[in-house]
Amino acid sequence: MEENRKTKENPLKVNRRHFFSQLSVGIGSLALGSLLIPDLFNGTTKGSPVTRLGVPHFAPKAKRVIYLFQAGAPSQFETFDHKPTLRKRMGEDLPESVRKGQRLTGMTAEQENFPLMPPAVRFQQYGNNGTWISDFFPHIGKIADEICVIRSMHTEAINHDPAITFFQTGSQISGRPSMGSWMSYGLGNENKNLPSFVVLTSRGKGNSQGLYSKLWSSGFLDSKHQGVLLRSGKDPVLYLNDPEGLSRSDKRHLLDHVSALNKLHHVETGDDEIESRIAQYEMAYRMQMSVPDVMDISKEPESIIKLYGEDCQVPGTYAANALQARRLAENGVRFIQLYHQGWDQHGNLHNEMAGQAKDVDQASAALIIDLKQRGMLEDTLVVWGGEFGRTNYCQGKFDPMNYGRDHHPRAFSIWMAGGGIQPGINYGQTDEFGYNIVENPVHINDFHATMMHLLGLDHEQLTYKYQGRRFRLTDVAGDVVKDILV
Amino acid sequence: MGNSANIRWVDYSIFGLSLFLIFCLLFDSFIQLPDLVAWLGKWHPLILHFPIVLLLIAVFLGLSGKDIPKKLLTVAVFAALLTAISGFFLGKETGTKGDLLVWHQWLGGSLALVAVIWYVVEGRQWAKKGVAKGLQIVLIGLVGFTGHYGGMVTHGEDFLALPKKKRSDKIPENPLIYEDVVGMILENNCVSCHNTNKRKGGLLMTSLEGLLKGGDVGNTVVPGNPENSELILRLQLPKDDKEHMPPDGKKPLNDSEIQILERWIALGASDTVRLNQLEKSEPLVALVEGLMQPDPMEKWAALPAVADSTLQQLNSDYVTVNRVAANSNALSISVFMPPDYDPGFITGLKIVAGNVVELDVSGLPLESVEFDVIAAMVNLEWLEIDGTPVTDAEMKKLGALRNLKLLKIYQTPIGDQSLEVFKNLPDLKSLYLWQTAVSKAALAVFRSDRPEVSISTGIDAETLRSFAATDSISKTAKK
Repeated sequence: MEENRKTKENPLKVNRRHFFSQLSVGIGSLALGSLLIPDLFNGTTKGSPVTRLGVPHFAPKAKRVIYLFQAGAPSQFETFDHKPTLRKRMGEDLPESVRKGQRLTGMTAEQENFPLMPPAVRFQQYGNNGTWISDFFPHIGKIADEICVIRSMHTEAINHDPAITFFQTGSQISGRPSMGSWMSYGLGNENKNLPSFVVLTSRGKGNSQGLYSKLWSSGFLDSKHQGVLLRSGKDPVLYLNDPEGLSRSDKRHLLDHVSALNKLHHVETGDDEIESRIAQYEMAYRMQMSVPDVMDISKEPESIIKLYGEDCQVPGTYAANALQARRLAENGVRFIQLYHQGWDQHGNLHNEMAGQAKDVDQASAALIIDLKQRGMLEDTLVVWGGEFGRTNYCQGKFDPMNYGRDHHPRAFSIWMAGGGIQPGINYGQTDEFGYNIVENPVHINDFHATMMHLLGLDHEQLTYKYQGRRFRLTDVAGDVVKDILV
Repeated sequence: MGNSANIRWVDYSIFGLSLFLIFCLLFDSFIQLPDLVAWLGKWHPLILHFPIVLLLIAVFLGLSGKDIPKKLLTVAVFAALLTAISGFFLGKETGTKGDLLVWHQWLGGSLALVAVIWYVVEGRQWAKKGVAKGLQIVLIGLVGFTGHYGGMVTHGEDFLALPKKKRSDKIPENPLIYEDVVGMILENNCVSCHNTNKRKGGLLMTSLEGLLKGGDVGNTVVPGNPENSELILRLQLPKDDKEHMPPDGKKPLNDSEIQILERWIALGASDTVRLNQLEKSEPLVALVEGLMQPDPMEKWAALPAVADSTLQQLNSDYVTVNRVAANSNALSISVFMPPDYDPGFITGLKIVAGNVVELDVSGLPLESVEFDVIAAMVNLEWLEIDGTPVTDAEMKKLGALRNLKLLKIYQTPIGDQSLEVFKNLPDLKSLYLWQTAVSKAALAVFRSDRPEVSISTGIDAETLRSFAATDSISKTAKK
């Protein structure tokens, strides 16, 4: 008792027994408390509320995306950014006060001066808001009231490969998942008989840059999110069709047996990849029916053919792909990406742009009109644009009759339509030289964030943990451009 | 000290409970309570009365220089700890904790812990009397504030406020812009600091006179001139600016709220203008209408719960059943054409009929029984039955879908009778109606009956003609 009083009087004088007995109470209480934390010791981390993968985070405005990618980067000065100043000051050197040390590509770095070049084509105003659109695109002019033209896009890359990779994956360095793969990962399939991410390519006569399958790769995401390239011609998907002489029932037998074997293996190893392999075999089996069905445009009425242009009957053209895109969207494909090559006008800009525009103008506009009559513009987002802009000065010697434009990352134009985008508006502005953005800049990260927002995904929440960190399409940046939403 | 074992047990328990409480407070966000433990929280409203009374008696005795019975203090401290812990359990029930609850929780936690410190210090020779006195005074304050915040949590923040005219949160039809819209925004965001009782910066925001008169800075609202109105300037400052309003820690106004205030000032800051007196093109109209539209997620919150396992069962190769959003019970369903269609693909959805808000069955060879199931999907807002053999008779059944907003029914054999059904769908906004047997005359009548419904009758002939005439691909290039 004596000893007890002593310790009571001086808390610093605690003997070993007291220390341990008191400590046990403390540790006991903490242990009791920790029982209230579920999953504390089972290795999973908690923090954000339970999110179901494959379901939007909030009610979406758009269920799918049709991305009309203009590979090679069409010039904003001959498409949607009307700059009469360039005509007035033709041949003058681009003032350094405007260029502000912007880096140049290897193609113009040695150039002594930068003579401003006029737009190669006239512009007209269309729609209720008087949207300026070049005469290369008379059909898109007719849908001016449906689209939102953004003239203040900017990017970080100045060469094609990093720029297009940045647009596709949110990173200039390849290896990350493509945006279509992210959407597939976030939203899952709508139609389980078709891939959720489909790619269609076409090529104009203009100067082209390469397209690589890495642009629609799923990177570190599950391979089922990879973009599937639908080829023009007999076999839209390679190796999908059975060899001659194999009947569908034989195929069924084969699949059943393979699946049984795979299931046995799954029981042994518990590897989830085996299950997704089984599922993919089944999907391929159903795609043998669904793909030819979707690709068959023979039942499209004459009026639709006329709308997209006769060209849409020629497989492999942009017009055919645009019509295909509508059919795929109708069949529940989440992300349909078209690439039209040939927009890299370093020279001979006037002729090449005219040709390229002819390839895409009518079919792009037709797609919007066709989607609208079917009510699909209410839940389908359409995007049209390239990977960066082009310079307001000419590449090489000044020659008003035949000139080209070099790459320009600081400002370029795209348009979006449907799926929760305000129709008939113009957003963002460049200076009178079309060189710098003066109002409402939209970075590619912002663009991605906005696209995801329309699809009901929070770009900060949709992550995938790989190599010890969580990855996002927008990496560590991106703001939703609220001003252009309905 | 004959019962020292007993005393030691008491000390240890108090020590243990204190640590437990601290643990709970620190790891709040990680903790999920088992049902039985959560139930213990329900005792909080009962036992909280004990520490209040017991602690106050002990403090009163201490402050008036009387001896405090050790047992009284022990029981009071125990009661305080149990109250705080049970209160913590109860608080976990509420989901996200509001400011009031957070304050109440931390004040209550501190109250219990200060009481514990007092218990430890009390009667020690090394602790001077002043320390105990100080603790006792702190305790009085804590009891008061904790109780007050607790009261506000249960009875509402303005429970003690002086009586005043109550404003409803809902914007009425054709609202007065100042009274019903601007007033509501100000009341939700500004009035708590700029009212007759608490007039920060000398500014009174409860009336138009107050706004026009302005505060110490002046020019709060300059009619017709939002650029020079201090109100708008303050709202638009960067959030970390000292002058930004509402101040740090309060919820900032969102863009559309600021734009509403801005346009209202630009239009002259009137208190008599109603929504329908504004030009349709005035941005304020769209802004106010946007504010009046109910959040769909809120409306769907009342739908019955659906288990993930049910959805898994309903999903098949050709039927996709998904939640509209991750934490919603509203369902979106798409059915794609299977090689072996039978009505079971649709009738199987009956068990979740009440939850379906979007349904796409376009192109399916629907028979009659499917329509009974679709008609039971009374919460349906979006229906795609284009390219199906739906007839007027079946459309009549679908008249039960009173919440329908969008209907795609092109390329179907429906006729004029269906228009009667559409006419009685109160929320219908978009109708896609082409290649049907509906007559032009009947459609014209429908248009005049329901002018607000946007009707798509297919691609207009002029567009088709011009597109056909100006085929982009020149004949020579085609070769």
